[in-house]
Amino acid sequence: MPESRLARLQAAALDLALDPDPGAFGRDPEAWAHLHRLSAPDGAALARHQTGWTLYRNLIRTTLGEPLEDALPLTKALLEAAGAWEALLSAFLASRPALAPYYRDIPASFVAWLADSGWGQDRWPCLLQLAHYEAVELDVMRAPDEPPPPDLEPEPAPDRVAVLDPAARNLAYGYAVQQATEAAPEPPPGCAWLLCHRDHEGAFHVLELTPHVSALLARSQEGQALGPALEALGADPGEAFALLRDLRQRGAILGFRPT
Amino acid sequence: MPFAGVGVGLRSPHLDPVAALDAAPVPFWEIAPENVVGLGGARQRKTLAILERDDVLTHGLSMSMGGFEAWAPEVLDRLVAFLKTTGTPWHSEHLCWSSHGGTHSHELLPLPFTREAVKHTVARVKGLQARLPVPFLLENISYYAELGASEMSERDFLLEVLEGADCGWLLDVNNVYVNSVNHGFDPRAWLTGMPLHRVAQIHIACHTWLPEEGVLLDTHGAPVADPVRDLLAWLLPRLGRPVPVLLERDHAIPDLEELLAERASLQSLYDRVLAGAAHA
Repeated sequence: MPESRLARLQAAALDLALDPDPGAFGRDPEAWAHLHRLSAPDGAALARHQTGWTLYRNLIRTTLGEPLEDALPLTKALLEAAGAWEALLSAFLASRPALAPYYRDIPASFVAWLADSGWGQDRWPCLLQLAHYEAVELDVMRAPDEPPPPDLEPEPAPDRVAVLDPAARNLAYGYAVQQATEAAPEPPPGCAWLLCHRDHEGAFHVLELTPHVSALLARSQEGQALGPALEALGADPGEAFALLRDLRQRGAILGFRPT
Repeated sequence: MPFAGVGVGLRSPHLDPVAALDAAPVPFWEIAPENVVGLGGARQRKTLAILERDDVLTHGLSMSMGGFEAWAPEVLDRLVAFLKTTGTPWHSEHLCWSSHGGTHSHELLPLPFTREAVKHTVARVKGLQARLPVPFLLENISYYAELGASEMSERDFLLEVLEGADCGWLLDVNNVYVNSVNHGFDPRAWLTGMPLHRVAQIHIACHTWLPEEGVLLDTHGAPVADPVRDLLAWLLPRLGRPVPVLLERDHAIPDLEELLAERASLQSLYDRVLAGAAHA
Protein backbone atom coordinates (compact mmCIF):
# COMPACT_ATOMS: atom_id res chain seq x y z
CA MET A 1 0.00 0.00 0.00
CA PRO A 2 1.55 3.36 -0.98
CA GLU A 3 2.43 5.68 1.86
CA SER A 4 -0.24 8.30 2.36
CA ARG A 5 0.29 12.03 2.08
CA LEU A 6 -0.30 12.33 5.83
CA ALA A 7 2.37 9.73 6.60
CA ARG A 8 4.86 11.40 4.23
CA LEU A 9 4.28 14.76 5.90
CA GLN A 10 4.84 13.31 9.36
CA ALA A 11 7.98 11.46 8.26
CA ALA A 12 9.34 14.65 6.71
CA ALA A 13 8.60 16.73 9.81
CA LEU A 14 10.38 14.23 12.03
CA ASP A 15 13.36 14.14 9.63
CA LEU A 16 13.55 17.89 9.87
CA ALA A 17 13.65 17.70 13.66
CA LEU A 18 16.12 14.84 14.00
CA ASP A 19 18.53 15.25 11.08
CA PRO A 20 21.85 16.59 12.36
CA ASP A 21 22.08 19.32 9.73
CA PRO A 22 18.96 21.39 9.05
CA GLY A 23 20.87 23.50 6.53
CA ALA A 24 19.23 22.07 3.44
CA PHE A 25 15.77 22.97 4.74
CA GLY A 26 16.93 26.46 5.69
CA ARG A 27 18.49 27.13 2.29
CA ASP A 28 15.65 25.84 0.13
CA PRO A 29 12.63 24.38 1.95
CA GLU A 30 10.77 23.61 -1.27
CA ALA A 31 13.67 21.58 -2.67
CA TRP A 32 13.99 19.84 0.69
CA ALA A 33 10.29 18.98 0.57
CA HIS A 34 10.70 17.57 -2.96
CA LEU A 35 13.49 15.30 -1.70
CA HIS A 36 11.07 14.07 0.95
CA ARG A 37 8.49 13.14 -1.72
CA LEU A 38 6.13 15.96 -0.81
CA SER A 39 3.99 17.72 -3.39
CA ALA A 40 4.76 21.24 -4.57
CA PRO A 41 1.86 22.76 -2.57
CA ASP A 42 3.03 20.96 0.57
CA GLY A 43 6.58 22.14 -0.06
CA ALA A 44 5.37 25.71 -0.51
CA ALA A 45 3.46 25.47 2.77
CA LEU A 46 6.56 24.24 4.60
CA ALA A 47 8.50 27.16 3.11
CA ARG A 48 5.86 29.62 4.35
CA HIS A 49 6.06 28.09 7.82
CA GLN A 50 9.85 27.74 7.94
CA THR A 51 10.15 29.73 11.18
CA GLY A 52 7.57 27.56 12.90
CA TRP A 53 9.15 24.29 11.78
CA THR A 54 12.58 25.49 12.90
CA LEU A 55 10.99 26.24 16.27
CA TYR A 56 9.51 22.73 16.38
CA ARG A 57 12.97 21.31 15.58
CA ASN A 58 14.43 23.16 18.56
CA LEU A 59 11.55 22.17 20.84
CA ILE A 60 11.86 18.47 19.99
CA ARG A 61 15.63 18.44 20.42
CA THR A 62 15.33 20.19 23.78
CA THR A 63 12.53 17.91 24.93
CA LEU A 64 14.46 14.76 24.07
CA GLY A 65 17.78 16.09 25.41
CA GLU A 66 16.58 17.33 28.80
CA PRO A 67 15.99 13.93 30.43
CA LEU A 68 19.49 12.89 29.38
CA GLU A 69 21.04 16.02 30.88
CA ASP A 70 19.09 15.42 34.09
CA ALA A 71 19.82 11.69 34.38
CA LEU A 72 23.41 11.61 33.10
CA PRO A 73 25.25 14.65 34.55
CA LEU A 74 28.59 12.83 34.78
CA THR A 75 28.39 11.56 31.21
CA LYS A 76 27.54 15.07 30.09
CA ALA A 77 30.47 16.53 32.07
CA LEU A 78 32.86 13.97 30.58
CA LEU A 79 31.88 14.88 27.03
CA GLU A 80 31.40 18.59 27.54
CA ALA A 81 35.04 18.86 28.61
CA ALA A 82 35.83 17.89 25.02
CA GLY A 83 32.96 19.84 23.50
CA ALA A 84 31.33 16.59 22.40
CA TRP A 85 28.02 16.43 24.33
CA GLU A 86 25.97 18.09 21.58
CA ALA A 87 27.56 15.80 18.99
CA LEU A 88 26.53 12.79 21.08
CA LEU A 89 22.93 14.03 21.38
CA SER A 90 22.85 14.76 17.68
CA ALA A 91 24.10 11.28 16.79
CA PHE A 92 21.53 9.72 19.11
CA LEU A 93 18.65 11.67 17.56
CA ALA A 94 19.90 11.06 14.02
CA SER A 95 19.77 7.32 14.68
CA ARG A 96 15.95 7.56 14.89
CA PRO A 97 16.01 5.83 18.25
CA ALA A 98 13.11 3.58 19.13
CA LEU A 99 11.55 5.79 21.78
CA ALA A 100 8.67 4.45 23.81
CA PRO A 101 5.57 6.50 24.65
CA TYR A 102 6.93 6.88 28.18
CA TYR A 103 9.11 9.98 28.44
CA ARG A 104 10.82 8.47 31.48
CA ASP A 105 12.31 5.71 29.27
CA ILE A 106 14.53 8.06 27.24
CA PRO A 107 17.70 7.55 29.35
CA ALA A 108 17.38 3.75 29.09
CA SER A 109 16.83 4.04 25.32
CA PHE A 110 19.92 6.22 25.11
CA VAL A 111 22.10 3.69 26.97
CA ALA A 112 20.80 0.89 24.75
CA TRP A 113 21.68 2.96 21.67
CA LEU A 114 25.13 3.72 23.08
CA ALA A 115 25.73 0.00 23.58
CA ASP A 116 24.58 -0.82 20.04
CA SER A 117 26.31 2.02 18.26
CA GLY A 118 29.60 2.10 20.17
CA TRP A 119 29.58 5.87 19.66
CA GLY A 120 32.66 7.59 21.13
CA GLN A 121 33.95 4.50 22.86
CA ASP A 122 37.31 4.54 21.06
CA ARG A 123 38.02 7.91 22.61
CA TRP A 124 36.22 7.34 25.93
CA PRO A 125 36.31 3.59 26.68
CA CYS A 126 34.47 4.25 29.97
CA LEU A 127 31.58 6.09 28.27
CA LEU A 128 29.05 3.26 28.07
CA GLN A 129 29.74 2.03 31.60
CA LEU A 130 29.50 5.52 33.07
CA ALA A 131 26.19 6.21 31.29
CA HIS A 132 24.86 2.81 32.34
CA TYR A 133 25.81 3.44 35.98
CA GLU A 134 24.06 6.82 35.96
CA ALA A 135 20.90 5.44 34.36
CA VAL A 136 20.71 2.68 36.97
CA GLU A 137 19.58 5.16 39.62
CA LEU A 138 16.32 5.88 37.76
CA ASP A 139 15.90 2.20 37.02
CA VAL A 140 16.22 1.27 40.70
CA MET A 141 14.18 4.17 42.05
CA ARG A 142 11.25 3.47 39.71
CA ALA A 143 11.32 -0.32 39.55
CA PRO A 144 7.83 -1.74 40.10
CA ASP A 145 6.94 -2.89 43.60
CA GLU A 146 6.30 -6.60 43.79
CA PRO A 147 4.92 -8.63 46.70
CA PRO A 148 7.70 -10.65 48.37
CA PRO A 149 7.69 -14.42 47.87
CA PRO A 150 5.69 -16.12 50.66
CA ASP A 151 8.36 -18.55 51.89
CA LEU A 152 11.15 -16.17 52.88
CA GLU A 153 13.20 -16.70 56.03
CA PRO A 154 14.94 -13.87 57.89
CA GLU A 155 18.24 -15.71 58.39
CA PRO A 156 20.78 -16.98 55.86
CA ALA A 157 21.66 -20.68 55.95
CA PRO A 158 23.76 -23.03 53.78
CA ASP A 159 20.66 -24.58 52.21
CA ARG A 160 19.02 -21.25 51.36
CA VAL A 161 19.44 -18.70 48.57
CA ALA A 162 19.51 -14.95 49.14
CA VAL A 163 16.55 -13.22 47.46
CA LEU A 164 17.39 -9.73 46.24
CA ASP A 165 14.80 -6.98 46.31
CA PRO A 166 13.47 -6.85 42.71
CA ALA A 167 14.61 -3.22 42.50
CA ALA A 168 18.22 -4.04 43.50
CA ARG A 169 20.89 -4.38 40.80
CA ASN A 170 24.06 -6.43 41.35
CA LEU A 171 26.50 -4.88 38.85
CA ALA A 172 30.11 -5.24 37.78
CA TYR A 173 32.00 -2.52 35.90
CA GLY A 174 35.49 -2.31 34.43
CA TYR A 175 35.85 1.25 35.73
CA ALA A 176 35.38 2.68 39.21
CA VAL A 177 32.29 4.53 37.99
CA GLN A 178 31.18 5.26 41.56
CA GLN A 179 34.23 7.50 41.99
CA ALA A 180 33.35 9.81 39.10
CA THR A 181 32.28 13.35 39.97
CA GLU A 182 31.21 16.30 37.84
CA ALA A 183 34.60 17.90 38.54
CA ALA A 184 36.44 14.68 37.60
CA PRO A 185 33.95 12.72 35.50
CA GLU A 186 36.37 10.20 33.96
CA PRO A 187 36.34 7.15 36.26
CA PRO A 188 39.68 5.43 36.89
CA PRO A 189 40.16 1.99 35.32
CA GLY A 190 39.65 -0.88 37.76
CA CYS A 191 36.91 -3.32 38.52
CA ALA A 192 33.95 -2.17 40.61
CA TRP A 193 31.34 -4.51 42.05
CA LEU A 194 28.32 -2.45 43.06
CA LEU A 195 24.98 -3.24 44.59
CA CYS A 196 22.51 -0.45 43.72
CA HIS A 197 19.33 -0.62 45.75
CA ARG A 198 16.65 1.39 47.51
CA ASP A 199 16.13 1.25 51.27
CA HIS A 200 12.90 0.76 53.21
CA GLU A 201 12.08 4.47 52.82
CA GLY A 202 12.77 4.37 49.09
CA ALA A 203 16.12 6.22 49.07
CA PHE A 204 18.78 5.17 46.55
CA HIS A 205 22.08 3.69 47.73
CA VAL A 206 25.21 2.27 46.12
CA LEU A 207 27.19 -0.30 48.07
CA GLU A 208 30.66 -1.39 47.02
CA LEU A 209 30.97 -5.18 47.27
CA THR A 210 33.91 -7.52 47.22
CA PRO A 211 34.11 -9.74 44.14
CA HIS A 212 33.24 -12.73 46.33
CA VAL A 213 30.03 -11.19 47.69
CA SER A 214 29.01 -10.01 44.24
CA ALA A 215 29.58 -13.52 42.89
CA LEU A 216 27.70 -15.02 45.84
CA LEU A 217 24.66 -12.85 45.10
CA ALA A 218 24.88 -13.71 41.41
CA ARG A 219 24.98 -17.42 42.19
CA SER A 220 21.99 -16.99 44.52
CA GLN A 221 20.07 -15.25 41.74
CA GLU A 222 20.82 -18.29 39.58
CA GLY A 223 19.36 -20.56 42.29
CA GLN A 224 22.53 -21.97 43.89
CA ALA A 225 22.30 -22.42 47.68
CA LEU A 226 24.61 -20.31 49.84
CA GLY A 227 26.58 -23.28 51.25
CA PRO A 228 27.79 -24.71 47.93
CA ALA A 229 28.27 -21.21 46.53
CA LEU A 230 30.49 -20.19 49.45
CA GLU A 231 32.48 -23.40 49.14
CA ALA A 232 33.01 -22.84 45.42
CA LEU A 233 34.12 -19.28 46.07
CA GLY A 234 36.35 -20.25 49.00
CA ALA A 235 34.66 -17.64 51.19
CA ASP A 236 34.19 -17.65 54.96
CA PRO A 237 30.51 -18.44 55.81
CA GLY A 238 30.56 -16.46 59.08
CA GLU A 239 31.65 -13.22 57.42
CA ALA A 240 29.41 -13.77 54.43
CA PHE A 241 26.31 -14.45 56.53
CA ALA A 242 26.94 -11.33 58.64
CA LEU A 243 27.13 -9.26 55.47
CA LEU A 244 23.98 -10.85 54.05
CA ARG A 245 22.12 -10.03 57.28
CA ASP A 246 23.31 -6.43 56.92
CA LEU A 247 22.09 -6.28 53.31
CA ARG A 248 18.70 -7.52 54.48
CA GLN A 249 18.59 -4.79 57.13
CA ARG A 250 19.32 -2.22 54.41
CA GLY A 251 16.49 -3.46 52.20
CA ALA A 252 18.72 -4.78 49.39
CA ILE A 253 17.88 -8.40 50.24
CA LEU A 254 14.29 -9.42 50.91
CA GLY A 255 15.17 -12.59 52.80
CA PHE A 256 16.34 -16.17 52.33
CA ARG A 257 14.48 -18.96 50.60
CA PRO A 258 15.02 -22.68 51.07
CA THR A 259 16.26 -24.36 47.90
CA MET B 1 -20.60 17.23 42.00
CA PRO B 2 -16.85 16.98 42.56
CA PHE B 3 -15.65 17.99 39.12
CA ALA B 4 -16.28 21.70 39.11
CA GLY B 5 -14.15 24.61 40.18
CA VAL B 6 -10.44 25.01 39.55
CA GLY B 7 -8.08 22.06 39.93
CA VAL B 8 -4.32 21.75 39.61
CA GLY B 9 -1.95 19.34 37.91
CA LEU B 10 -0.31 17.07 40.49
CA ARG B 11 3.44 17.48 40.03
CA SER B 12 6.39 15.62 41.55
CA PRO B 13 7.79 18.54 43.63
CA HIS B 14 4.46 18.78 45.47
CA LEU B 15 4.02 15.13 46.39
CA ASP B 16 5.48 15.42 49.91
CA PRO B 17 3.49 18.49 51.04
CA VAL B 18 0.27 17.24 49.43
CA ALA B 19 0.62 13.76 50.95
CA ALA B 20 1.16 15.34 54.38
CA LEU B 21 -2.24 17.08 54.27
CA ASP B 22 -5.34 15.53 55.82
CA ALA B 23 -7.49 16.38 52.82
CA ALA B 24 -7.20 17.64 49.26
CA PRO B 25 -6.36 21.35 49.01
CA VAL B 26 -8.02 21.50 45.57
CA PRO B 27 -11.36 20.28 44.14
CA PHE B 28 -9.44 17.82 41.97
CA TRP B 29 -6.05 17.00 40.56
CA GLU B 30 -5.09 16.17 37.02
CA ILE B 31 -2.39 13.58 36.33
CA ALA B 32 -0.77 12.02 33.27
CA PRO B 33 -1.01 8.21 33.39
CA GLU B 34 2.34 7.99 31.57
CA ASN B 35 4.04 9.43 34.64
CA VAL B 36 2.59 6.82 36.98
CA VAL B 37 1.79 3.49 35.34
CA GLY B 38 4.25 0.61 35.57
CA LEU B 39 6.38 2.28 38.23
CA GLY B 40 7.18 1.51 41.85
CA GLY B 41 9.10 3.04 44.72
CA ALA B 42 8.38 5.54 47.44
CA ARG B 43 7.23 8.40 45.19
CA GLN B 44 4.89 6.07 43.39
CA ARG B 45 3.33 4.90 46.65
CA LYS B 46 2.88 8.53 47.69
CA THR B 47 1.26 9.42 44.36
CA LEU B 48 -1.14 6.50 44.53
CA ALA B 49 -2.10 7.36 48.11
CA ILE B 50 -2.98 10.92 47.04
CA LEU B 51 -4.97 9.66 44.06
CA GLU B 52 -6.88 7.27 46.31
CA ARG B 53 -7.71 10.07 48.78
CA ASP B 54 -8.53 12.84 46.28
CA ASP B 55 -10.57 13.29 43.12
CA VAL B 56 -8.57 13.07 39.92
CA LEU B 57 -8.91 13.64 36.18
CA THR B 58 -6.50 11.89 33.80
CA HIS B 59 -4.82 13.55 30.85
CA GLY B 60 -2.63 11.62 28.41
CA LEU B 61 0.47 12.90 26.66
CA SER B 62 1.66 10.28 24.27
CA MET B 63 -1.01 8.41 22.30
CA SER B 64 -0.26 10.41 19.12
CA MET B 65 -3.91 10.54 18.12
CA GLY B 66 -3.20 11.63 14.54
CA GLY B 67 -0.20 9.34 14.12
CA PHE B 68 0.18 5.87 12.67
CA GLU B 69 1.85 3.93 15.49
CA ALA B 70 -0.21 1.04 16.82
CA TRP B 71 -0.75 1.25 20.56
CA ALA B 72 1.14 -1.54 22.31
CA PRO B 73 -1.24 -3.87 24.18
CA GLU B 74 0.66 -3.42 27.46
CA VAL B 75 0.43 0.37 27.12
CA LEU B 76 -3.32 0.18 26.57
CA ASP B 77 -3.80 -2.36 29.37
CA ARG B 78 -1.90 -0.18 31.84
CA LEU B 79 -3.87 2.89 30.77
CA VAL B 80 -7.23 1.14 31.15
CA ALA B 81 -6.29 -0.25 34.56
CA PHE B 82 -5.13 3.19 35.72
CA LEU B 83 -8.33 4.91 34.57
CA LYS B 84 -10.35 2.33 36.51
CA THR B 85 -8.16 2.72 39.60
CA THR B 86 -8.44 6.49 39.69
CA GLY B 87 -12.17 6.56 38.98
CA THR B 88 -11.68 9.44 36.56
CA PRO B 89 -14.97 10.34 34.81
CA TRP B 90 -13.16 10.82 31.46
CA HIS B 91 -9.74 10.68 29.85
CA SER B 92 -8.23 13.22 27.50
CA GLU B 93 -5.49 13.45 24.87
CA HIS B 94 -4.30 16.09 22.41
CA LEU B 95 -5.42 16.60 18.84
CA CYS B 96 -1.93 16.16 17.42
CA TRP B 97 0.63 13.59 16.36
CA SER B 98 3.85 12.88 18.25
CA SER B 99 5.48 9.74 16.89
CA HIS B 100 6.35 8.22 13.53
CA GLY B 101 8.36 5.18 12.47
CA GLY B 102 8.97 4.06 16.05
CA THR B 103 10.45 7.35 17.24
CA HIS B 104 8.45 9.37 19.74
CA SER B 105 9.15 13.11 19.61
CA HIS B 106 7.35 13.76 22.91
CA GLU B 107 6.08 17.01 21.37
CA LEU B 108 2.53 17.94 20.39
CA LEU B 109 2.90 18.38 16.63
CA PRO B 110 0.17 19.84 14.43
CA LEU B 111 -1.71 17.68 11.98
CA PRO B 112 -2.29 18.90 8.43
CA PHE B 113 -5.64 20.66 8.20
CA THR B 114 -6.86 18.25 5.53
CA ARG B 115 -9.78 15.92 4.95
CA GLU B 116 -7.37 12.96 4.96
CA ALA B 117 -6.11 13.92 8.45
CA VAL B 118 -9.70 14.39 9.69
CA LYS B 119 -10.69 10.94 8.48
CA HIS B 120 -7.56 9.27 9.86
CA THR B 121 -7.78 10.97 13.27
CA VAL B 122 -11.50 10.33 13.66
CA ALA B 123 -10.86 6.62 13.08
CA ARG B 124 -8.03 6.61 15.66
CA VAL B 125 -10.14 8.44 18.24
CA LYS B 126 -13.03 6.04 17.75
CA GLY B 127 -10.63 3.11 18.02
CA LEU B 128 -9.19 4.35 21.31
CA GLN B 129 -12.58 5.34 22.69
CA ALA B 130 -13.80 1.79 22.10
CA ARG B 131 -10.97 0.48 24.31
CA LEU B 132 -11.39 2.91 27.19
CA PRO B 133 -13.74 2.46 30.15
CA VAL B 134 -14.62 6.18 30.26
CA PRO B 135 -15.59 8.87 27.72
CA PHE B 136 -12.75 10.42 25.74
CA LEU B 137 -11.94 14.12 25.24
CA LEU B 138 -9.67 15.76 22.67
CA GLU B 139 -7.73 18.91 23.49
CA ASN B 140 -7.04 21.69 21.00
CA ILE B 141 -3.28 22.45 20.82
CA SER B 142 -1.15 25.50 20.21
CA TYR B 143 0.44 25.33 16.77
CA TYR B 144 3.32 27.32 15.36
CA ALA B 145 3.30 26.06 11.77
CA GLU B 146 1.04 24.29 9.33
CA LEU B 147 2.08 20.84 8.13
CA GLY B 148 1.61 20.95 4.39
CA ALA B 149 -1.02 22.73 2.33
CA SER B 150 -4.23 23.25 4.30
CA GLU B 151 -7.66 22.43 2.93
CA MET B 152 -9.49 24.09 5.81
CA SER B 153 -8.87 26.32 8.82
CA GLU B 154 -7.60 24.97 12.13
CA ARG B 155 -11.01 25.84 13.59
CA ASP B 156 -12.87 23.80 10.97
CA PHE B 157 -10.36 20.97 11.36
CA LEU B 158 -11.01 20.78 15.10
CA LEU B 159 -14.75 21.04 14.54
CA GLU B 160 -14.78 18.22 11.98
CA VAL B 161 -12.71 15.91 14.20
CA LEU B 162 -14.85 16.56 17.28
CA GLU B 163 -18.06 16.02 15.34
CA GLY B 164 -16.75 13.06 13.34
CA ALA B 165 -15.41 11.27 16.40
CA ASP B 166 -18.40 12.36 18.49
CA CYS B 167 -16.11 12.90 21.46
CA GLY B 168 -15.84 15.48 24.21
CA TRP B 169 -13.71 18.62 24.04
CA LEU B 170 -11.01 19.60 26.50
CA LEU B 171 -10.93 23.28 25.63
CA ASP B 172 -7.50 24.80 26.28
CA VAL B 173 -8.19 28.51 26.61
CA ASN B 174 -4.50 29.43 26.58
CA ASN B 175 -4.00 27.53 23.33
CA VAL B 176 -6.89 29.40 21.71
CA TYR B 177 -5.34 32.69 22.84
CA VAL B 178 -1.81 31.70 21.71
CA ASN B 179 -3.12 30.67 18.29
CA SER B 180 -5.15 33.86 18.00
CA VAL B 181 -2.00 35.96 18.47
CA ASN B 182 0.23 33.81 16.27
CA HIS B 183 -2.28 33.39 13.46
CA GLY B 184 -4.17 36.67 13.75
CA PHE B 185 -7.77 36.02 14.70
CA ASP B 186 -10.24 37.12 17.36
CA PRO B 187 -10.42 34.32 19.97
CA ARG B 188 -13.99 35.22 20.97
CA ALA B 189 -15.17 35.08 17.38
CA TRP B 190 -13.24 31.80 16.98
CA LEU B 191 -15.09 30.29 19.96
CA THR B 192 -18.50 31.58 18.93
CA GLY B 193 -20.29 28.87 17.01
CA MET B 194 -17.97 26.12 18.19
CA PRO B 195 -19.66 23.08 19.80
CA LEU B 196 -19.43 24.32 23.38
CA HIS B 197 -21.86 21.59 24.45
CA ARG B 198 -18.96 19.17 23.95
CA VAL B 199 -16.71 20.98 26.46
CA ALA B 200 -16.26 18.77 29.52
CA GLN B 201 -13.09 20.36 30.86
CA ILE B 202 -11.00 23.50 30.41
CA HIS B 203 -7.23 23.97 30.58
CA ILE B 204 -5.68 27.28 31.48
CA ALA B 205 -1.95 28.07 31.44
CA CYS B 206 0.60 30.69 30.52
CA HIS B 207 2.69 31.56 27.49
CA THR B 208 5.95 33.31 26.62
CA TRP B 209 6.76 35.73 23.81
CA LEU B 210 9.76 34.69 21.68
CA PRO B 211 10.94 37.95 20.12
CA GLU B 212 13.42 36.35 17.73
CA GLU B 213 10.78 34.13 16.15
CA GLY B 214 7.90 36.54 16.71
CA VAL B 215 5.93 33.69 18.25
CA LEU B 216 3.87 33.31 21.40
CA LEU B 217 4.88 29.96 22.92
CA ASP B 218 2.65 27.83 25.16
CA THR B 219 5.05 27.23 28.07
CA HIS B 220 3.19 26.41 31.31
CA GLY B 221 6.05 28.11 33.15
CA ALA B 222 4.55 31.24 34.77
CA PRO B 223 1.25 32.52 36.18
CA VAL B 224 -1.69 32.78 33.79
CA ALA B 225 -1.62 36.03 31.81
CA ASP B 226 -4.46 38.55 32.08
CA PRO B 227 -5.76 38.16 28.49
CA VAL B 228 -6.17 34.42 29.10
CA ARG B 229 -7.98 35.02 32.39
CA ASP B 230 -10.22 37.49 30.56
CA LEU B 231 -10.96 34.95 27.85
CA LEU B 232 -11.81 32.35 30.50
CA ALA B 233 -14.17 34.82 32.20
CA TRP B 234 -15.84 35.49 28.85
CA LEU B 235 -16.18 31.79 28.09
CA LEU B 236 -17.44 30.32 31.38
CA PRO B 237 -20.96 31.87 31.36
CA ARG B 238 -21.40 30.79 27.73
CA LEU B 239 -21.06 27.12 28.64
CA GLY B 240 -24.36 27.12 30.52
CA ARG B 241 -23.05 24.84 33.27
CA PRO B 242 -20.08 24.65 35.65
CA VAL B 243 -17.20 23.02 33.79
CA PRO B 244 -14.00 22.09 35.69
CA VAL B 245 -10.99 24.26 34.95
CA LEU B 246 -7.47 22.88 35.31
CA LEU B 247 -4.51 25.17 36.02
CA GLU B 248 -1.47 23.75 34.21
CA ARG B 249 2.05 24.37 35.48
CA ASP B 250 4.84 22.15 34.14
CA HIS B 251 7.96 24.32 34.16
CA ALA B 252 9.48 26.64 36.76
CA ILE B 253 7.09 24.97 39.18
CA PRO B 254 6.58 27.17 42.24
CA ASP B 255 6.15 25.86 45.76
CA LEU B 256 2.74 24.47 46.61
CA GLU B 257 1.64 27.53 48.57
CA GLU B 258 2.28 29.87 45.63
CA LEU B 259 0.52 27.57 43.18
CA LEU B 260 -2.48 27.20 45.48
CA ALA B 261 -2.66 30.99 45.80
CA GLU B 262 -2.93 31.28 42.02
CA ARG B 263 -5.56 28.55 42.01
CA ALA B 264 -7.54 30.43 44.67
CA SER B 265 -7.42 33.57 42.57
CA LEU B 266 -8.75 31.67 39.55
CA GLN B 267 -11.40 30.02 41.74
CA SER B 268 -12.60 33.49 42.79
CA LEU B 269 -12.88 34.48 39.15
CA TYR B 270 -14.72 31.22 38.41
CA ASP B 271 -17.19 31.71 41.29
CA ARG B 272 -17.75 35.37 40.51
CA VAL B 273 -18.40 34.81 36.82
CA LEU B 274 -20.74 31.86 37.36
CA ALA B 275 -22.63 33.69 40.13
CA GLY B 276 -23.08 36.62 37.76
CA ALA B 277 -24.33 34.31 35.03
CA ALA B 278 -26.83 32.72 37.43
CA HIS B 279 -28.29 36.14 38.27
CA ALA B 280 -28.31 37.41 34.71
